[in-house]
Amino acid sequence: MVKDRNSFIFRLSLTLFVILAINFFLPRMMPGDPFSTTSADEAGEEIIVMTEEQRLYYINYYGLDRPLHEQFLVYIKNLMTGDLGRSIYYKMPVSDVIMLHLPWTMLIVVGATVISTISGVVLGTLSAMNRKKGSDKIMMTGMIAFAEIPSFLLGLILLLIFSVHLRLFPLAGAITPFANYTGPAEQAWDILYHAFLPVVTLSLAQLTDVYLLTRNTLITVTTKDYIRTARAKGLGEKTVWTRHALRNALLPVVTRTGFMIGIMMGGVVLVESVFSYPGIGMTLRSAVVGRDYPLIQGILLVIAVSILICNLLVDKIYGKLDPRVVI
Amino acid sequence: MIKDIAAFGNAGILSFIQALNVNGIVSGTAKTFSKFSIMARIFSKFSTIAETFSRFSTEGKIGILGITCIVLMAVFAPVITMYPPQKITGDSLEAPGPGHILGTDDLGMDIWSQICYGARMSLTIGLAVAFTAGFGGGALGILAGYMGGYIDQGLMRVIDVTMALPSFPLLIVISAFLGPSILNVIFILVLFSWAKPARIARSQTLLLKKNNYIIAARNYGAKPFYLLWRHIFPEVMPVLLVLIIGISSHAIIAEAGLAFLGLGDPTSKSWGMMLNHATGFRSIYFTPYWQWWLLPPLFMLIFLLLCLAFISRDMERILDPKLKIKKGF
Repeated sequence: MVKDRNSFIFRLSLTLFVILAINFFLPRMMPGDPFSTTSADEAGEEIIVMTEEQRLYYINYYGLDRPLHEQFLVYIKNLMTGDLGRSIYYKMPVSDVIMLHLPWTMLIVVGATVISTISGVVLGTLSAMNRKKGSDKIMMTGMIAFAEIPSFLLGLILLLIFSVHLRLFPLAGAITPFANYTGPAEQAWDILYHAFLPVVTLSLAQLTDVYLLTRNTLITVTTKDYIRTARAKGLGEKTVWTRHALRNALLPVVTRTGFMIGIMMGGVVLVESVFSYPGIGMTLRSAVVGRDYPLIQGILLVIAVSILICNLLVDKIYGKLDPRVVI
Repeated sequence: MIKDIAAFGNAGILSFIQALNVNGIVSGTAKTFSKFSIMARIFSKFSTIAETFSRFSTEGKIGILGITCIVLMAVFAPVITMYPPQKITGDSLEAPGPGHILGTDDLGMDIWSQICYGARMSLTIGLAVAFTAGFGGGALGILAGYMGGYIDQGLMRVIDVTMALPSFPLLIVISAFLGPSILNVIFILVLFSWAKPARIARSQTLLLKKNNYIIAARNYGAKPFYLLWRHIFPEVMPVLLVLIIGISSHAIIAEAGLAFLGLGDPTSKSWGMMLNHATGFRSIYFTPYWQWWLLPPLFMLIFLLLCLAFISRDMERILDPKLKIKKGF
């Protein structure tokens, strides 16, 4: 088991290393260098805006003539000190841009995680309790069909129905522009009002996984001997389901929740674009449109690292919840 | 007697006769029936297809019919559309009407044509990625599982890392750097989807390798390539097929997502590209334009994905109810 945990951490660090390497080598694999600009009129035609001596001076100044492994070490050192470079579009450090937008993403991702986990568990339990009845079958088929629609298409549908057609929710943004709030309660309400549709989209996209997992685990658990013992003791149906069955069925759900955050961090880019929600996903889209390479790389790094941290946390929490895992 | 049976298309007896024919025992008599045997073979092919089709559930049948419709739409795009998709053939933002069935976009291009030609794009990318990644990854997995040792260990580490990478953010970044083109999109998607078939093919191979008939074949002197091709590959194939459908729907989603972000090939009109153009139009939500500009590609994408999902779910059930292939993305 110890060896297994070590290999898990080894795998995470290896993954992180691969991401860092991709991040580092991608811009260096591109043709040309930062000091020559290509003309848009004709492909391949280069206009050199500096003299050769100036160019060499700058290449030397930025350390681009040093061997690759030295450059890589410098890059890692900069990352360790939180230096992600400067954004071309925002004209400020990439880390500041990310810090500006990350809270919004955190808000909807965490909100969606909580909502989808809770509703998935509740629906899954209901489904398992009504197993072999029609309602379970209908619910299951619906959920499975639902799971196949990717989150950004779901978001578009919700946007078209609720914001465009019914005009119930705002079309874009995270707060009402130029709003004068009378108190913190009103401000909180405004933020929730804007975050509602993105959160619902993300949670709907993840709901099926939790639902199926809860349902299937519950069905397996209820065939165990201790459930029969609990019933034989004369415990009420409610106690049997909540205290005995659900408690044991929740373990895999915890793991699933951790991975869910990872999947959501990937999907959030598109969902935020649909709702023009100013999180890092939306920033990534505008960075891609504006070819703001340092910002793109910084955001990728933040997303990747947060996914890895989630996986690590899940591993730790799982060990705490289920003592059998750590021997 | 034999002629009667052949006319009724009894494939079993016919193949027996053919086997005799190969051995040169009844070559003289069987040759006269070869015309019947070809017809019978075609007939039996059809009946196996029909039989397989009837094993699908209602959902699966709907899925197959839906996919067939989309494929026909893509293949016969020039026949069923009146205008080329990239030409300005009407006023800008015309409502659906007799001239343009689904109306036109902001540049005055016909939306029905764009939908039909866009189907080609989605299907091409889905199929290309799925077959390359499915069979390529499958072959790697089979080889690694069969050979074992350091090669197997090494491949497993690579698979672990590939599966742990956050694929969609990386997809965005890599395609932002490599530049938008269909080939790049396919290449990147293959890079991120070969790991799963490889892993499953490997574990299947490990199980199969221990079977007595394979050990027996090897003891009779079967070469590794023969073993892999004749005994292991046909067994792994059904699982790979289910995975290939899964990968193709994943690839279609990823392509639509990339195109939606503006990272698709700008010269081709895929459905994701149409979504990108429509949502990028400034006042799309304040005007009725979204009803004929945004809805058709949205509807088609969801329809295609649902069809694929129905088929893959059904195939999973038909192939082996005990076999659980986790859907993952």
